[in-house]
Amino acid sequence: MSEKDSSENLKGETSYEDENEQKAEELGCTGSNAEREQEVEPVPMTRKRPEPKPPSQPAATEKPAAETLKVSDSPAVQTGWGYWGSWGKSLLSTASATVATVGQGISNVIEKAETTLGIPSPSEISSETRDATRGSENPGASSTDAVDDGSSFPIAGALGVLSTISTAVQSTGKSVISGGLDALEFIGKKTMDVIAEGDPGFKKTKGLMNRNSTLSQVLREAKEKEEQQTATEVTMATEKKAHYGLLFDEFQGLSHLEALEMLSRESESKVKSVLNALSGEELDTLKEEVEQLKEAFSLPEFFEEEEEEKKGDEEFTKEVTELFSELRISSKPDKLITVRKSAHEWIAQFNSSLPKEEKESEENQEVESRDGDHDAKRSVEDIHAFAIRSLAELTACSIEMFHKTAALFLHGQKQEVTATDRAKSLSQMTIVLCKELSTFSKEFTTCLTTAGVKEKADVLNPLITGVFLEASNSASYIQDAFQLLLPVLQISLIEARTELSQQ
Amino acid sequence: MHSHPLPEPSATMATAPYNYSYIFKYIIIGDMGVGKSCLLHQFTEKKFMADCPHTIGVEFGTRIIEVSGQKIKLQIWDTAGQERFRAVTRSYYRGAAGALMVYDITRRSTYNHLSSWLTDARNLTNPNTVIILIGNKADLEAQRDVTYEEAKQFAEENGLLFLEASAKTGENVEDAFLEAAKKIYQNIQDGSLDLNAAESGVQHKPSAPQGGRLTSEPQPQREGCGC
Repeated sequence: MSEKDSSENLKGETSYEDENEQKAEELGCTGSNAEREQEVEPVPMTRKRPEPKPPSQPAATEKPAAETLKVSDSPAVQTGWGYWGSWGKSLLSTASATVATVGQGISNVIEKAETTLGIPSPSEISSETRDATRGSENPGASSTDAVDDGSSFPIAGALGVLSTISTAVQSTGKSVISGGLDALEFIGKKTMDVIAEGDPGFKKTKGLMNRNSTLSQVLREAKEKEEQQTATEVTMATEKKAHYGLLFDEFQGLSHLEALEMLSRESESKVKSVLNALSGEELDTLKEEVEQLKEAFSLPEFFEEEEEEKKGDEEFTKEVTELFSELRISSKPDKLITVRKSAHEWIAQFNSSLPKEEKESEENQEVESRDGDHDAKRSVEDIHAFAIRSLAELTACSIEMFHKTAALFLHGQKQEVTATDRAKSLSQMTIVLCKELSTFSKEFTTCLTTAGVKEKADVLNPLITGVFLEASNSASYIQDAFQLLLPVLQISLIEARTELSQQ
Repeated sequence: MHSHPLPEPSATMATAPYNYSYIFKYIIIGDMGVGKSCLLHQFTEKKFMADCPHTIGVEFGTRIIEVSGQKIKLQIWDTAGQERFRAVTRSYYRGAAGALMVYDITRRSTYNHLSSWLTDARNLTNPNTVIILIGNKADLEAQRDVTYEEAKQFAEENGLLFLEASAKTGENVEDAFLEAAKKIYQNIQDGSLDLNAAESGVQHKPSAPQGGRLTSEPQPQREGCGC
């Protein structure tokens, strides 16, 4: 099935409720029957990236604040934010990965849905995150900012909000990985409702960042919520196999993230104490160098067009291996490559077995037996489960790789490469990984649409959305993990300078 | 293929896989080559890993054990022993509920370094962290370089639990992890370990019984979105 076909397929399915009713009528069922059937239909678990947000604050006043934060990268707005000082600036770059996550398409859809649903948008959330990170310094800050913004930003009125956000995302120059997630735009608001409702951890995680939590803590709590859910509702087959959070933990992704956070935090406080001990020209020079390094952590923008139609299977391996060797550390990304390869092979195997299966399901269709239905259903759920598992494993491996890299940077051997060069290679690596996740989500959803042609939209759509969302989340985690490497490389930089001055 | 030290194979996930009431963080520390990773591997996989690569930074293992009828998930941080990683691995100590301090009974130098490891463990963890001293490679009796008695005395003087074990034969490996867990659990029971302390290394999870949750979290409502 071609890309276009599958997209159109998705588009058609957005109005699945109507379709169902139609079907129900054709079958001579009453409307209420059809409705009930829909109710008991197990809603496959889709997890939204855990997002912090104090439930008490009304979204309406929050929104403009988020706006300002997003665009505040541009110098014009910066003046209004002198308040934040350099602190705010550094926060902006740290939070950028969270703001400009994979898939402009996806985030727009989510934002749209969230505006209507009254759920905080990713941008608001990141502003919350920042507020939380700032600690209790300025508890009333966000509401004040909101008011400020209302006056300085006439466009940010009710209608301008969404377009402003998307341009802001582009203008910040942070990585916006739009590849492959366009399809999500075709999935309607209904699906978003399902996501919001079907996500057990979501409500809970909203307020988490208030307590100065780290990403790993938030993820851990979301995972625990999932665990509880799985323990209580053991009846749904999909849920057991396709819990991203549980799987991510199983693959030790959480542990590696936590360990990386520990190294990052420790490095950060070391950097601070080094800077505090310096003064005058020495301080200025070092500050400037540290800033330069920070720039290497702004992920460059890249475009869909750059991607070749069908990237060779070896391309990823080659790229990652090369980038990794540029870091000059005594470690290889073998595990990541193996995991990625086995997922790739699974997809290839699925695709090669396709014609036969299609024929079979057509036969089943004619018989229209319950058994046939069941088989088809299990197969899309299997694909979904495998997709979620692969995404969780790839992400865990990527984060493990970043953690190991940080450990090796810190072990204090003589550096053959500058911290800035390492930062560049790592940022390139982050992009390669995120692109790969995007490609995987495309391939997996193509598998899903192919295998699920005969499926009802309300069965298939949440599965597809789930894959896209988890791929998007995965890319955010990877980008966040990448940002954790900044203080580590700053320490490398400082150490290299000290070494140099001692010679 | 890659292997993951899962407490249970994923096939059994269907049957109440996540029923544990506590998570304990453990760290394994000690000189390079004393067999820290092998002890962990033996504990989680029940296999001896003959050719074990040097650990970079830290590796992880998990297993669910049972103490006094309570299921406890051990989250084990297996740190790198190489001296050059020492500064890095120190970052990982924080929040450990238990520490396995390992030496090699056939290499006295690894025993002599214990006081330095102990200092780190004491300084970088909280006062309630349970430390167990493990003399590994107990199967190599012929090459013994450190007697049981002197290690036992060292342990007693410093208030440590002590066992000799063998990652190769599996002797006492299970016990090493269990003894520490028992002691931690005991500390929880008698109130000397404050679960609410930030760095206790223990997380208590009220288990979710079938049919109802302990938390009064409302079920997700299938309500309209008000638009």
